Amino acid sequence: AMAGGLEPHLAALRRELGGPAVLSVLVALIAVAITFLIWRFVQGRKSSRKAVLLLGLCDAGKTLLFARLLSGRYRDTQTSITDSSAVYRLSQDKSTNVTLIDLPGHESLRLQFLERFKAAARAIVFVVDSVAFQREVKDVAEFLYQVLVDSTVLRNAPALLIACNKQDVTMAKSAKLIQQQLEKELNTLRVTRSAAPTSLDGSATGGPAQLGKKGKDFDFSQLPMKVEFVECSARGSKGEEGEADLEGLKKWLVKVA
Amino acid sequence: MLDFFTIFSKGGLVLWCFQGVRGPAATAPVNALIRSVLLQERGGNNSFTHEALTLKYKLDNQFELVFVVGFQKILTLTYVDKLIDDVHKEFRDKYRNEFQQKGALGLLNGTFDFKDDFMRLLRDAEESSKVRAPTVMKTFEQSLKSQKTVKCMIETRGEKPKEKVKNKKNKGSKKDGTEAVAAPSKASAGDKQLSAAGDNKEELTKDEILQKNREEFFRRHMKAGEKSRSPKPDAQKEKGKKPRVWDLGNSNAKVLDYSNSATNGSAEACPVEEFDPDMALGDKNREPGRLYDLEYESDDEAEEEKVVQNPSKPSVKKGGLGGMFGMLKGLVGSKSLTREDMDPVLEKMKDHLIAKNVAAEIAVQLCESVAKKLEGKVMGTFTTVTSTVKQALQEALVQILQPQRRVDVLRDVMDAQRHRRPYVITFCGVNGVGKSTNLAKISFWLIENGFSVLIAACDTFRAGAVEQLRTHTRRLNALHPPESHGGRTMVQLYEKGYGKDAAGIAMEAISYARNQGFDVVLVDTAGRMQDNAPLMTALAKLIAVNAPDLVLFVGEALVGNEAVDQLVKFNKALADHSMAQTPRLIDGIVLTKFDTIDDKVGAAISMTYITSKPIVFVGTGQTYCDLRSLNAKAVVAALMKA
Repeated sequence: AMAGGLEPHLAALRRELGGPAVLSVLVALIAVAITFLIWRFVQGRKSSRKAVLLLGLCDAGKTLLFARLLSGRYRDTQTSITDSSAVYRLSQDKSTNVTLIDLPGHESLRLQFLERFKAAARAIVFVVDSVAFQREVKDVAEFLYQVLVDSTVLRNAPALLIACNKQDVTMAKSAKLIQQQLEKELNTLRVTRSAAPTSLDGSATGGPAQLGKKGKDFDFSQLPMKVEFVECSARGSKGEEGEADLEGLKKWLVKVA
Repeated sequence: MLDFFTIFSKGGLVLWCFQGVRGPAATAPVNALIRSVLLQERGGNNSFTHEALTLKYKLDNQFELVFVVGFQKILTLTYVDKLIDDVHKEFRDKYRNEFQQKGALGLLNGTFDFKDDFMRLLRDAEESSKVRAPTVMKTFEQSLKSQKTVKCMIETRGEKPKEKVKNKKNKGSKKDGTEAVAAPSKASAGDKQLSAAGDNKEELTKDEILQKNREEFFRRHMKAGEKSRSPKPDAQKEKGKKPRVWDLGNSNAKVLDYSNSATNGSAEACPVEEFDPDMALGDKNREPGRLYDLEYESDDEAEEEKVVQNPSKPSVKKGGLGGMFGMLKGLVGSKSLTREDMDPVLEKMKDHLIAKNVAAEIAVQLCESVAKKLEGKVMGTFTTVTSTVKQALQEALVQILQPQRRVDVLRDVMDAQRHRRPYVITFCGVNGVGKSTNLAKISFWLIENGFSVLIAACDTFRAGAVEQLRTHTRRLNALHPPESHGGRTMVQLYEKGYGKDAAGIAMEAISYARNQGFDVVLVDTAGRMQDNAPLMTALAKLIAVNAPDLVLFVGEALVGNEAVDQLVKFNKALADHSMAQTPRLIDGIVLTKFDTIDDKVGAAISMTYITSKPIVFVGTGQTYCDLRSLNAKAVVAALMKA
């Protein structure tokens, strides 16, 4: 009965549309649409966040860290002007791997590159130069603040590791000291950045987000993401030929992946 | 002879390095090169000087490599450019496989053993520069000068150059004969037509055809000569000048007065016109006395887009068959950008930037730098040249507007507060840009954040400058009375009247602030033109003596190419008159009158490009709340908008 019901409809359709040619066009269009949808679905699955970003000020040691993690050897480096990315296999387990992305630290470039890669970030390694920290504490805190109040970062809450690099030098500050200083500085920055004049198109510079809890002094535990501090040395204490001291960093990467 | 030669990737890994005999480590100069040239979009010309070294560089945009060579500044090595090109080609070809591997792993794991090839190329380059036989000097007979006669080297007034050339050509073929002939004809210098004709009559020995042609030529000349000579006799006829007679010249004022003396002051004398109240008042439904807002039509945007699309369409149609294939080839697959592809697009972008009030020389340099960055780059599928160039230009502009140092005045004021000394901000700029107005705005902002401000009136020249600041102080104190801030006055004015030395007043103001415990001192200086040397010296002295924490240059957003000149000369004056090792230059820019420009925001780019200092504040009006901070993305979006 159904077939009988459909027949006159199909006949009417065929008559109206003028032949089988138009019908085949319609079928082709539907096939294309379905393929397109499948493609988008596959794309969506592939672009799940699998990237670990290496951020930090200029001369913090990000590119050397990147080279050491991937090849184990020491390489000379210059100031990066573009990002580098590579797949990093964690120990012997072949199935888990992360994409390490080394972003330039120069002031004119860092925010641009952060914009580009922040959506794909599963974890962030913020590299700090422990030797020059005392001098640069305000700049380090400002960049860290900009990373932390970013709306995408707050939404995804990737795990954050603050790697205190250059520990092979005797004058390097310890991770505990760096943590205390950063907390104090970020506390002050909360006030000053939200009080800055509003931006030209109306959006406030500090972002609507409030870092940490109001009323209490800033603490890294108040953030929505997990924050850890680790000491490391990309150059290694035995000079250029020796191994780098990256145990803490590697363990954290395994945990995060 | 070279100090070093480095090859590194744009991601920062050094692939290969050659250390010359004498050279120090290559890292520091190369870092300086990267930071000041590549990152500030000054990559137009390919050489850079750093201390005692000259650095030449080349970018490979396809594989993201940078080749840098450094040598002593005092040497001028001619083979360097060729050497870089050769090394580039050879390195790229030799290690093509490593580069084409995806990601940085190829670069990390590859060993680049390039030393032998490099030494060979260096030897070849050095030899090619040496091997050039010293040029033998020409003898007098071989030179052209011996072939000219003296006659044709004498310049008579109004001598047509074509005739000279013809004479020379002719005479060159017969050196000896004509010299004797030309010498006596020298005496007949005078009317040009006669002498030329005379010379050529003596050349009858040679080609008749030549002669005929020359006569044709002269006939044409004669006609022109006659035309030029005919007005002259007419002018000769008038003997002496006759006085010009005006129609009403001799009459006095009474005759020239056309006003009706009865009408001024009496209302009825005006003829009653046809007065249509409807037309005069316009909208009948308006409320009397109310001022309506401007209405923005959103149709404008759609119209703009249509207009933008239309010019792009005809350019697509223009191709023809070859053009069609070229376009298809460009759309699909890998096509590397060449200079010829980019030039028309860059021209258009340069004109667009200049139309948006970016200074002309800066637009040119920017486009050059973008071209260097994109040359040889492989475009992805479905990207056109225009879109790639636009994208690159947009990134370059955002890069320029990003501050190179931390911009947080409140944080620095807090620091100074902790050290119990006042934070001193000095405002300088040319006349009429809005220094005093923006000073008042900034002091309002500081007071809102709980800091007490002392305003130092160091503008002792302009009439009313001190009174202006006093009025502002009174208003600010009315807005923030001492009662609401725990009994202390938030704003005070320090002034010593007019005509005194500005640097002395500033020094006294700073010590007064230190004694009284003010947090910030804002120093207002007189406006001065950048060319005015004594005033620039006075400003430089004020800044050098008082060592302020922040020197802000106030510039208006309306300024065009002048911005470049102003900033360069201000910085130069500050650098020249300072005794210190590192002179205090302009630390930041205040961009004022931003509400008067629609989207012609190019002045922001010009100023930050010239000084590489950030724009700290933007003034958008005359009330105290019209103070903003710069948003790089919004400004670049307005700049790139069609």
